[in-house]
Amino acid sequence: MSGFIALRDILLDGVDERTAAVGPALERRELVDDALRFAAELQARHIQQIALHLTDAAAVAIALLGAWRAGVRVVMPADLQDDSRTRLLHTVDALISDDQPLDTWLTQAPLTPAPLAPYDACLVLSTSGSTGQPKLIEKRLYQLANEIAALEQQWGAALGDALIVASVSAQHIYGLLFRVLWPLCAGRPFVREVQPYPEYLQQASLGHRQDFAWVTSPALLKRLGDNLDWQALRSVRKVFSSGGPLPAGAANDVQRRFGQPACEIYGSSETGGIGWREGTLPWTPFAGVSIEPSGDGGFLIKSAYLPAGHAEPCADAVRHLTDGRFELLGRLDRIVKLEEKRISLPRLEQALLQHPWVADTRLGVVHTNRAFLGALVALSEQGLQALRNGGRRALTEALRSHLSGHCEALALPRRWRLVGQLPSNSQGKLPQRDVDALLAAERTRQPERLSLEQQDDEWKVTLAVPLDLAHFSGHFATTPILPGVVQVDWVMSLARELMPLPPRFGGLEVLKFQQLVRPGDHILLTLRFDTERSKLYFTFHNGEATCASGRIVLEQAHA
Amino acid sequence: MSLLHLEIKNLIIDALGLEDIGPSDIGNEQTLFGEGLGLDSVDALELGLAIQKHFGIRIDADAKDTRVHFTNVSTLAAYISARQAVA
Repeated sequence: MSGFIALRDILLDGVDERTAAVGPALERRELVDDALRFAAELQARHIQQIALHLTDAAAVAIALLGAWRAGVRVVMPADLQDDSRTRLLHTVDALISDDQPLDTWLTQAPLTPAPLAPYDACLVLSTSGSTGQPKLIEKRLYQLANEIAALEQQWGAALGDALIVASVSAQHIYGLLFRVLWPLCAGRPFVREVQPYPEYLQQASLGHRQDFAWVTSPALLKRLGDNLDWQALRSVRKVFSSGGPLPAGAANDVQRRFGQPACEIYGSSETGGIGWREGTLPWTPFAGVSIEPSGDGGFLIKSAYLPAGHAEPCADAVRHLTDGRFELLGRLDRIVKLEEKRISLPRLEQALLQHPWVADTRLGVVHTNRAFLGALVALSEQGLQALRNGGRRALTEALRSHLSGHCEALALPRRWRLVGQLPSNSQGKLPQRDVDALLAAERTRQPERLSLEQQDDEWKVTLAVPLDLAHFSGHFATTPILPGVVQVDWVMSLARELMPLPPRFGGLEVLKFQQLVRPGDHILLTLRFDTERSKLYFTFHNGEATCASGRIVLEQAHA
Repeated sequence: MSLLHLEIKNLIIDALGLEDIGPSDIGNEQTLFGEGLGLDSVDALELGLAIQKHFGIRIDADAKDTRVHFTNVSTLAAYISARQAVA
């Protein structure tokens, strides 16, 4: 590939006639001119630090390069939720976002073109940290430049002058490098807007009479569908995927449809690129990247994409193969990835705990068609009252809306399991796999048994009515009440367990429901079987009050 | 609510694993993605697949702005009817 320009020299490229970006088209000299105007505006306003959150990849390039030219530090938040906005407003002088067109920042006469400072130009990325606070990761220009040079070395020839089309945002390191900075340095045009749906990617790719390459993620490649023009799309130069491993099924689909494997990139904001693979083979480290055991079961990364001498802990467990390649064995911390977005479970748990209805909580991942979060919530006394008086849906809605200021919609728990207190194992711990199993299970249909005793021919069973009993959902949505038919069902199944009974149900007698039974109630069930009359006598008490009573007639099976 | 509307709502609930929500809780004109039900672009991808499979239609990959049809249940119903007529 001719005409590769080092990242530090990008703004010296003012006479270049090539196209920088399409949709709408922007020439490289226009992009450079805009960046220098943006730099002038920042200087005129004496701005030291900006936050950047933009959907247009060309605007990202203009603002980032302009800020670096002006000696301004750039923070890229992972999202613009209320929490993040508030935090940013305390730390930066200006927030450059889609709220306001970038053009309003481009009215000054441009600064003169100049090389950027490799060790001073600074970008701060933000990602979910395991402590609950977002983790800030500082990158200097030379780190990014080293990575771009390595990518060009590896795949420059294969890409040629392909148009870069992306389904991922430019707000994270992968998108920023692959769809903005690398193409800029290499002279490849890129599509400005993100193309989140398969048919949008296809439309943005075909019809330019030009080669193209895709920058995508497993979230998209797993869901390609079969409505695309695969014949035309087979000319794709490369299908990159990053953010998480591509499942084997999706990898095979890509191979079959595009006639080539997806090219997966493994890395993180903290570590930069670590390795790559094509198809379902093991991972190959990028040249100059070393992965060493840290001694505590984890791994340390050293590379030219990190400050010299720095060893960055790796969040995944790694198995080295003898040929230098490696396999990934899963994460070591309580950060989960949902569709490539990193979610800190501790952070969300802390946010949930701030709600007065929540006494304790643990989150986990539920896997169905897509992976989403589930919340195991121990309700406070107030929370229990809210459930009893308003129903489950109103309660979970309130908790979701409480959380919505703290996280993206993607991270809002979709499944809720309500309990009186969180369970623990024999070591007094609640391992993540137990949380995940509880969340994966269906809502219970049975009571919890607290005690059991026999006096003469009478059994007394103390039962706790689960907060989350499946029967409460339809009965009734806003005032959960234990249905009478369920009470009779519990009587029969418990009685059959405790005593030998005739098999046939013969009917109910003097059935009375005197007081409502509600979530969280402890009720005492008294059972006695009168052999002479062949009738099962039962009573439910809640403290002094009788909730229900009756007789069940049982008959011998007829021959 | 027509049968098709009901079918779409049930499909949304099943395909996206929504809890504590019944078909009657989703308004015909209620915005599905972003605000409203709080669904995101991955849900849109999932729903796109589910709808093509369930109704035996294809989202036309050459038409512009196909995802505008995913705005709400009514727009989806109109789109599905139109695509079924094509097939």
